[in-house]
Amino acid sequence: MWLDYHSGAQLTIASGVLPPHPTFRIQLMRATLTLCGIIITACGLSSAADTPRDLARLIDGHIDQKCPDGRQAALLSESAFIRRVTLDLAGRIPTVAELEQFRNSESLNKRVELVQRLIDSPDFAFHHRNELDTLLLRRLEHNDQWRAYLLEATQQNRPWNQIFREIMLPEDACPDDARPATFLRRRIRDLDAMTNDTSKIWFGVNVACAKCHDHPLADDWTQAHYYGVASFFKRTFQTRNGSLGERFDGRIKYMTTDGDELEAEFMFLTGKKIREPKLELDEAKLKEYREAIKNSEKDDKAPSPPKPDFRPRAQLVDAALADTEQDFFARNIANRIWARMFGRGLVHPLDQMHSENEPSHPELLQLIASDLRAHGFDLRRLRQAIAMSDAYARQSRLLDDIDPPSEHLFAHAVPRPLTPHQLSLSFRIATSNPKELTGLASQNDWEKQRQELERQSEGVARQIEIPDDGFQVPISEALWLSNNPQVERDYLSASNNRLVGYLGSIQSNEELVVAASKSILSREPRPEEQSALVRHLESKPDHRSAAIDQVVWALLATPEFRFNH
Amino acid sequence: MSDPITTNSLSRRSWLRLAGAAGTAGFAANMSGVEVLAEPALTTALKHSGKRVILLWLAGGASQLETWDPKPGRPTGGPFAKIQTCVPGIEISELLPKMSTRLNETAILRSLNTKIADHGTAYTLMDTGRAPEPSLNFPHLGALIARELGQRDSKVPDYVAMYTSTEGRRQGTAGFLGGRYNPMFLTDNMIPADIKRLESISDADHQDRAELRDFLASMFARQHSHPMYDAHNSAYQRVRGLMTSDHLFDIDREPQSMRDHYGPTQFGQQCLIARRLVEAGVPFVKVARAWWDSHGQNFETHQELCADLDHCLAALLDDLKARGILENTLVITLGEFGRTPKINGSLGRDHFASAWSCTLSGCGIRGGSLYGKSDKDGQNVIAGEMNAGDLYATIFSALGIDHQKEYMVGSRPVPITDFDSEPCYEVLA
Repeated sequence: MWLDYHSGAQLTIASGVLPPHPTFRIQLMRATLTLCGIIITACGLSSAADTPRDLARLIDGHIDQKCPDGRQAALLSESAFIRRVTLDLAGRIPTVAELEQFRNSESLNKRVELVQRLIDSPDFAFHHRNELDTLLLRRLEHNDQWRAYLLEATQQNRPWNQIFREIMLPEDACPDDARPATFLRRRIRDLDAMTNDTSKIWFGVNVACAKCHDHPLADDWTQAHYYGVASFFKRTFQTRNGSLGERFDGRIKYMTTDGDELEAEFMFLTGKKIREPKLELDEAKLKEYREAIKNSEKDDKAPSPPKPDFRPRAQLVDAALADTEQDFFARNIANRIWARMFGRGLVHPLDQMHSENEPSHPELLQLIASDLRAHGFDLRRLRQAIAMSDAYARQSRLLDDIDPPSEHLFAHAVPRPLTPHQLSLSFRIATSNPKELTGLASQNDWEKQRQELERQSEGVARQIEIPDDGFQVPISEALWLSNNPQVERDYLSASNNRLVGYLGSIQSNEELVVAASKSILSREPRPEEQSALVRHLESKPDHRSAAIDQVVWALLATPEFRFNH
Repeated sequence: MSDPITTNSLSRRSWLRLAGAAGTAGFAANMSGVEVLAEPALTTALKHSGKRVILLWLAGGASQLETWDPKPGRPTGGPFAKIQTCVPGIEISELLPKMSTRLNETAILRSLNTKIADHGTAYTLMDTGRAPEPSLNFPHLGALIARELGQRDSKVPDYVAMYTSTEGRRQGTAGFLGGRYNPMFLTDNMIPADIKRLESISDADHQDRAELRDFLASMFARQHSHPMYDAHNSAYQRVRGLMTSDHLFDIDREPQSMRDHYGPTQFGQQCLIARRLVEAGVPFVKVARAWWDSHGQNFETHQELCADLDHCLAALLDDLKARGILENTLVITLGEFGRTPKINGSLGRDHFASAWSCTLSGCGIRGGSLYGKSDKDGQNVIAGEMNAGDLYATIFSALGIDHQKEYMVGSRPVPITDFDSEPCYEVLA
């Protein structure tokens, strides 16, 4: 389905007629660069990118090569770039001080420096924590302990494979810490949920269809795969005091669509089967162990249950991490991070990694997955590299292009709804007094401030819909912003430390409108907007403070504020 | 990110049937255009037909033996007698005397075997028409109906759900159909959240700022286009219209005689609101009445709850009929399951999903019909067994919605009713 390309052929055409246009020449240089990348790949050094910037260049090479000439959208303006990248790396819009600092910088390297500053900021860990919480637990529960665990992990930039081990095998990886077990504990009574959610979230594979029949679209997934993965969880249990364990026996039997009853094997998604060694226990001992496990499930004072030598869930963790061939584990997280930054995955939908749904850029996915593996599953590095690429910094589709290139070519940005936390935090930032809340631009106690913002924005975040593909802003959100007293109290308050209060101190309507627009939309108003907003203020000379409220509200309620575009 | 949920073209058969019904036979003559034209043409035809649903949700599970499928004289029968209804051959519990004279627009289904008897899972099963599946967030009935029968820019809500009891309170979800179809959920108040303007802003200012927002959004739209932006704008553009629908929730606007007709109970008042809503064009209203979960003292519980149900359902049907909208309004009584024939030690009945009943009245329904049969003690279905999918297929068919219609969720086609579901043609008009 995807166009195959031959870099050689493209190069020949390109070098045949050398156009004078400078951007074209840059593209040519990129093509050459990518060619080097491919040669390097061919030599088995696919993760040859040393720095995130090197990786960014390789990413651009892959994207450029597939994109039809001259069809790529222009790069974002500075204001638009800092908004996008701050949302993506800090999980919020920039403060006015951050916006101005960036625009006033004369460094030739200012984008790269900005990305670096955001990656190193305390915001990054909070934002990444919020994203992981949504990915791993959705809203099955809100659990402060678990969120604290995730925050520790993101603050230390813990490698993704280590996080995986801690969450999927907490009894081994961190026996004294009950928090990471939350992922499995939340699903412990539902074998299907453990099976499906693990496959989807950690491996990018949706095997749910294969429970009842072999997957109708993808030959890859059969009932044997479904029950193979389920087998790894079959023996998992929870003790009364909240830790996890595995039983000594227990296999799954299932009916095929032909009506045969089969015993499931321990089989990973790659088809790799794990043979269970014969259990060297006599009946009496086995009975005793079973009793001990039963007691630990009922009684929080019971001694720790015995541990079998062969533990299927531990086998799954090992098998997943050892799979460098199909590399579901690395490819999944690489693809998810890509989608976070670009609005769609290289494999899309994100849980459809199978042979009938090829990646749009197979080599690129391989490249970033291998890079992750080669650099200790450092997720920050990949996000940083993506944020430094030109592909990331392109404008979203413009209307004058009547036939824009398909989204999977990444020739233009795909708009994304803000996540609940991004939106709730951004409401807070936008409606703060911009002179007081300066963020990374000058606040020494910013980490504490950010923590406080997280706390304040949690309640609203929980009411906002988690966006999936095809997201539609629900009417309840529009009604809430239009009529809820909390909005008036928290976002439109006229106190001095809030935006409305600050705007009230500005005499000139023109300046007021500029300040409001920069606080909320991270840019100056366009002339038509400027005059409309000024007109609105002028039309209500008798109740100026109400008019200011309305200007702020109208800007907050725009699609421009609601989306990352 | 284009809309992942698209609708497959309807089958030729259903298109012809519906196109014929909508009087657009001219269209049907040109079959070459069907694939392109079928959906919008049909959707419009359907949506203009003004079909509506009121679901009376008997939360906790009402006893079929004390309502629609009595077994007096049997060990499982309990103390109540059965009474002859206005339809020869149909007898129901004496706890429903008003309904016994009003079965002419109602079908009774006595053969539900839905197998699942815990509240949570059974609730999902009966409110979505299929067993829950971890990887698929299937929409609840109200959202499906809102999607199928709602108007895009309607000034009234698409889906209102009332549930004032705290016990077993469960909010419906639009699942993969998206937030556009989430219910307006009424819990503590009889009016939806955020539908009333705050006193601190005048109506003129409220409108001015909405217009200012629309202007800013239109400026943005000059350079940016995406279906998500359209959905955002349409949500905001519906706000003012929806706010004007607040009067629909105000039953003080009804004459005293009408309020008396529905009675003073909360359920009665909510039924009256439901009638006001469907009359104004709301496609789906759910009124939940709790709490039927009579593990102890089943008979006292049902004496009280059935009286309320009997009165309110009868009042609702009479009113809809008098206004001439019953033929376009499907009224459903349903819960998550029925109750055990066996009477337990606390004179209660427990959860039971093997042979229980529900009713369908009005739109598309063959009135006075009875379908299915349980055995003499009510333990098993012995004729016309139906599952949740069959019931859903019947509901959709009554409303003129193709029950085999498919949504595309990502790359997966998902039929609106579960695989192998069949409508119960015997109760369809």
